[in-house]
Amino acid sequence: MKHEIICAGIGGRGVLLASTILIEAAITSGLKAVASDEYGMSQRGGSVISLVKVGDFASPFIGRENGDILLAFEESEFYRTLFFLKKGGLALINTRAKGLPSSVDALLKKRGIVCRLVDADGIARDEGMFQSANMALLGFFASFGIAPFTPEVLENTIRARVPEKFLAKNLAVFARGCEAAGAQGAVKMPQQGM
Amino acid sequence: MQSREEVIIGNQAIARGLVEAGLEIAAAYPGTPSSEILPGVVYFKKMEGLKIHTEWSTNELCAFEVAFGAAAYSGARAACFMKQVGLNVAFPALLRSREKTIEGGLVIISCDDPGPQSSQTEQDTRLIATLFGIPVFDPASPTEAADVAYYALNWSFENKVPVIIRSTHRVSHARESISLYSPGARKVSLKEGHLAGTGRKLGIVASGMSYSLVYDVIEELGAADVVSIYKVLKVYPSSEALSDFVRSMERVLVVEETDRVIEALIGDHKKVMGRSDGTVPSSGEITYDIVRDMLSGVLGRLGLGRKDLFAPDGTIEEALSDVAVVPRPPKLCPGCPHRASFFAMQYLWPDAIYPGDIGCYTLGISQGAVDTCLDMGAGVTMAEGFYDAFNQDGKLVPILASVGDSTFLHACLAPLYDAVKNRKRFILVLMDNSTTAMTGMQPTPQTGVTVDGVKTRSVAIEEIVRGLGVEYLKIVDPYDVPLMIGTIREAFDYLKGDEMLPAVIIARRQCLLLTKGAAKEAAYPADIESDCVGCKSCLATFDCPAMSFDEGLKKIRIDDSICTNCGICYYACPVQVKGKALRKLKVAVKQGAK
Ligand code: SF4
Ligand code: SF4
Repeated sequence: MKHEIICAGIGGRGVLLASTILIEAAITSGLKAVASDEYGMSQRGGSVISLVKVGDFASPFIGRENGDILLAFEESEFYRTLFFLKKGGLALINTRAKGLPSSVDALLKKRGIVCRLVDADGIARDEGMFQSANMALLGFFASFGIAPFTPEVLENTIRARVPEKFLAKNLAVFARGCEAAGAQGAVKMPQQGM
Repeated sequence: MQSREEVIIGNQAIARGLVEAGLEIAAAYPGTPSSEILPGVVYFKKMEGLKIHTEWSTNELCAFEVAFGAAAYSGARAACFMKQVGLNVAFPALLRSREKTIEGGLVIISCDDPGPQSSQTEQDTRLIATLFGIPVFDPASPTEAADVAYYALNWSFENKVPVIIRSTHRVSHARESISLYSPGARKVSLKEGHLAGTGRKLGIVASGMSYSLVYDVIEELGAADVVSIYKVLKVYPSSEALSDFVRSMERVLVVEETDRVIEALIGDHKKVMGRSDGTVPSSGEITYDIVRDMLSGVLGRLGLGRKDLFAPDGTIEEALSDVAVVPRPPKLCPGCPHRASFFAMQYLWPDAIYPGDIGCYTLGISQGAVDTCLDMGAGVTMAEGFYDAFNQDGKLVPILASVGDSTFLHACLAPLYDAVKNRKRFILVLMDNSTTAMTGMQPTPQTGVTVDGVKTRSVAIEEIVRGLGVEYLKIVDPYDVPLMIGTIREAFDYLKGDEMLPAVIIARRQCLLLTKGAAKEAAYPADIESDCVGCKSCLATFDCPAMSFDEGLKKIRIDDSICTNCGICYYACPVQVKGKALRKLKVAVKQGAK
């Protein structure tokens, strides 16, 4: 099994925690995994990209049009990292928008990319956890059931990772993310990239 | 015994390897991408209950000499950590040390920054090591970095010579699951040699992260059966096996970061492709796409390629060409006190000479208040040079140098004394935010806290400045922009007098990341939007990430989720008057509360 996953967002919004949960979920499932992070000099508000590779890889780099999954924690960062995604890949975007520009829609269709929009910020805010949009997007992703990233495995990893104080709230946001995917009828993808 | 696995970054893996190898003394100066190694040592020594002396040094030369002293004459197992340009600071001691027989063991970790991503220049530690005959390892992953660290400290101890491990940004910051062993029990697996392939037409020689990249790309291209790959781990001294490999191949491609080192060691320009003949780009980080393009090209030229090689889909960029994506260049944080200082400096003299230095505040370039960035400490000494050049023509022009507190203590003591002794007239704005912000908030000597979190004696910067002979010294809160502007003007008047000495202004306010949001709660939300006339002058002079221009409303918008309510942007707006009134009110409220 091999997955190349791009997590893209901006500083201070939990992109690195999300990618840490992905890599630890893969490792506890007995897979090899490596991650590499890219963030500029500025500590807050700059672009953050975290690349996660699951399976027998040597380097943590992902090549252009090689990525299987793109988790965009910010719409602007989706555009910035779209070139990573392969034909037939999966893109999940945290945005309040109901649709993407038509040129982008056409491109995604042409490249056979499955793309879903979710208001992860809104979900997190509803739960009173503005900083936890990352959990909502992870929950949304979990319900696609792409092994090893099933809701059970990701939930257990979150339990092991997130400090006790914030755990209950984070899990609630995660669950709401899962539900949102169900509501969109977006569950169960054809298996990725193997 | 293997105790367990933990997902950690390469720098922590290095720390783990050293701790398991019996490390006794570790000293470091923070610098991206090396900064996490020393805290990693602290973390693991506490985990294992070991007694290891750990300290942040004032600069890399101090770190090196502390470690060398402990290793050379006292028989300790010691290590020092720094970034690639930090090795230059430690250079005098490094050069002499290589001729010494040491009693203990000494490992120098120097982390390179291909790109560069967070340095003034690329520089290859392996080149320096090789030129001066110091053994140097180039690990290809965090896992290998842990093993090499363990191996190198033992090797140095047994062979009685210092050893360098060169990491790169991508190795230091990659995250992997690393096996933690009990001290002394690590099972080391070091991979070097002809590891893959049987083809004779093309042999690829690679080291470090470049090797890992080559491995993945060859897999993708399905070329594993037509080429041979040789992995180098110990770059110097290089092994006989490498020469044999090169001899047995028709052509050889060397992929390495960031300079030509293995390539030069091999020689043989007829056979070897690499940086010298332009096959590998001469600078910049080697990425997946670069390796894929390069290997596709080379395989094609040698008749080894396949037809279905990767071709990028240009329609991606076409489809995105009309989408407005917010640019996110590196910026100082919202509410950063440096931004306020630069604004005041720039406000008074847009055309002054602004010698800069190395830290977050190098970003003052975007406010037009930093002109130069040479190396740590050069802000002060270059200001001297500028002064001399104009003074010779009988002119006194405003020269405003800037430097942060950590860099000041690292590299500016001698330069500032030099300026006093040689009677140079310029203004030094010492931006004191009480931390080493750019590299991740390490304490400075002024903080008075050690890397273990223990209290220690703190050094007050103002006492040092006075001790060096400076007479004009003012300490100002940079958020008080009018006072800052007034003080800079006063300092320049002082320069016009007979003293013939530099003037120093300490702009003192804590880094926003240290205050952790406390400032936001204490202040009012900034309302700059309602009066905005859309002239954008605040964007030009101020550059706060919380501000953007709403093209629809033709007004400035403040992103409340990251704005810190510092209110400094009021000063950058030519139509605002209430900002100043508000600030006075805020001060009054604060004093009333006392
Ligand atoms: S300077 Fe003031 S008026 Fe001009 S764009 Fe900025 S906020 Fe608006
Ligand atoms: S108050 Fe103004 S300068 Fe301060 S953080 Fe907010 S937008 Fe930036």
